[in-house]
Amino acid sequence: MRVLIIEDDAEVCAYMAKGLREAGHVAETAGDGEQGLEMARDGGFDVLVVDRMMPLRDGLSVIETLRSEGDKTPVLILSALGEVDDRVDGLKAGGDDYLVKPYAFAELLARVEALARRRDPETVKTRLNVGDLEMDLLARTVQRGGEDIQLQPREFRLLEFLMRHSGQVVTRTMLLEKVWDYHFDPQTNVIDVHISRLRAKIDKPFGANMLHTVRGAGYRLSI
Amino acid sequence: MNNPARRLPAFARTTTFRLTLLSAALFALSSFVILSLVYGASVGAAMRRADIAIEAEIAAVEARFDSGGAQAANRYIVQRSVGGGEYLYLLLQASGRRVSGNISALPATPRDAQGRVRFVYDRAPVAGGSAEDEAGRAARGRIVDLGGEYQLFVGLDVEEEERFVGNILNAVLLASGLSLALGLASGAVVSRRFSRRLEAINSVAREVMGGRLQTRAPRTFSGDEIDELSSNFNDMLDRVERLMHRMRTAGDSIAHDLRLPLTRMRGRLESALVEAGDLAAREAALSQAVNDSDELLKTFNAVLSLSRLETGERRRAFEDLDPCAILADVAELYEPVCEEMGLDFVHEAEADLTLLGDRELLAQAVANLLDNAMKYTPTGGAVALRCRRCASGEVEISVTDTGPGIPADQRERVLERFVRLEKSRNQPGVGLGLSLVHAIAEVHGASLKLDDGPGSLDGAGTGLRVALVFPAGR
Repeated sequence: MRVLIIEDDAEVCAYMAKGLREAGHVAETAGDGEQGLEMARDGGFDVLVVDRMMPLRDGLSVIETLRSEGDKTPVLILSALGEVDDRVDGLKAGGDDYLVKPYAFAELLARVEALARRRDPETVKTRLNVGDLEMDLLARTVQRGGEDIQLQPREFRLLEFLMRHSGQVVTRTMLLEKVWDYHFDPQTNVIDVHISRLRAKIDKPFGANMLHTVRGAGYRLSI
Repeated sequence: MNNPARRLPAFARTTTFRLTLLSAALFALSSFVILSLVYGASVGAAMRRADIAIEAEIAAVEARFDSGGAQAANRYIVQRSVGGGEYLYLLLQASGRRVSGNISALPATPRDAQGRVRFVYDRAPVAGGSAEDEAGRAARGRIVDLGGEYQLFVGLDVEEEERFVGNILNAVLLASGLSLALGLASGAVVSRRFSRRLEAINSVAREVMGGRLQTRAPRTFSGDEIDELSSNFNDMLDRVERLMHRMRTAGDSIAHDLRLPLTRMRGRLESALVEAGDLAAREAALSQAVNDSDELLKTFNAVLSLSRLETGERRRAFEDLDPCAILADVAELYEPVCEEMGLDFVHEAEADLTLLGDRELLAQAVANLLDNAMKYTPTGGAVALRCRRCASGEVEISVTDTGPGIPADQRERVLERFVRLEKSRNQPGVGLGLSLVHAIAEVHGASLKLDDGPGSLDGAGTGLRVALVFPAGR
């Protein structure tokens, strides 16, 4: 996929671009808000990564302008401001996800890839399928290989998120944010315990593991 | 220095002085008006009495004239003025020739339409009186026509009355002047006192600005508004000082606590450089360095959110919350972890409670407390999360464990940043958890209480009960 990074710190910019290219994506960079807006208008990007505070034109203004012009390209906002209010401001301006600096590159990559997935035609899905794993969103049931699996409500939401992002890496922070709606950092790895419980239900009885741990990054659900 | 106010003495520039001055001026004006009314009334009454007496005397002379002609009138006048009576008389023929009377000529001062006249005359000195006293005495009188052939003047000495009302006038002016002067003086005294007390506070402010942050405004404990100002001022300085102290110690602690992991990370990176040949060792060193930097970032973020919390900005986003629901979510997140660690997890919450706060922060506080409880409670123990309404109406959220507990004399200390008790040094963490909970409690106006728990399994410890007590709802 094609990613546009709009960030005024050249070194951070180059580092992100290099990381994204190594992960197999095309990355272009812009050093300020005006240039970024120009490049974004030319189009063709799957995801925009926009720094919040930049010279000439700040990140929120870039996003607002693009949105007012009807551009729906998913945007990941990078910011040193991490309070709830700042996050809300960012999302209100039209951002799709918000990442607080400093962050690990794995976190950035996972979120960019998750955002690109959103570009897929937004059909209202009632069923999710990954391999022989099947989720019925209306009946709230899960089956693997035709066999019913009983899940707690939160386990269901956790699995739903993983299935919606199957094949991609999701980080612990992403899970905590999207499944539990917490934006703080619990000191113990609570997420790991929930993942291992989910594994015990969807993987263990079936022999073939689908829920993989990605070292240094998070988890991935795939065949 | 073009400001005219600059030239006034300091006390005269104060608000108090201006107010006192204004009230003194108003008081002087009103006393002047009242006394003037009194003055007018007494002058009027005295002069009216004199005029009535003059009219009666004229009528008496006219009666004699009507019955016995000029002869009878002349006789009456002579009788009345013999022995220095109080009236003044003059009977003149139309030609102007003097017939009788005790003054030589008509007063020269102008008369009004009724023939009334005010004038000054010299009285014939009486025995024992001073000539000075008799000269230039005030009098009033009236000139009337008598039968067409004569002119009659009757006057009355009003010197005493005039002197009396003159005294009243002086008294009026003196009283007004005095009240103005007294007002000025009291204004100066009051404003001096007032400005001295304000100046004391001002000088403290200047001292503080100059860097002596320990200076405090003097208190009188009288409970008046200046004392209240001093008290609030001092409280404000206390808070500023606390924040600065906290910032300084936090800075020191951060420097101290980050040095170790940074040094460790640097060492690993350096050895990775050296281990150029051994790829596996190099990779291990590098990935360890990445983990170290993650830990550093975590600490960093925790310090940042702690600082933001302490500025109290977050209060804007407060809303009515159901603590029961918040606790249920956190409990759901932590219960499996508890089980995994071989701990019993108890969760009891009363329904229908509300408190004003921030969902995320409260969840974070409870998560931190559970985290600590689980970390320090040995396998086989129990961790309990409870929420209830106290008899006094306060809402209490508590986390109890059966760990070793914290000795009573150390409980204050563990709330400080980066403080870790000796026996917990081997546990992961940087010692910010309880500081964060403490800061969250403060933002919510809640108190954080540390008590003994139900005791530990081995009997060596006391267990720990940490409670967040939120003030009773509105």
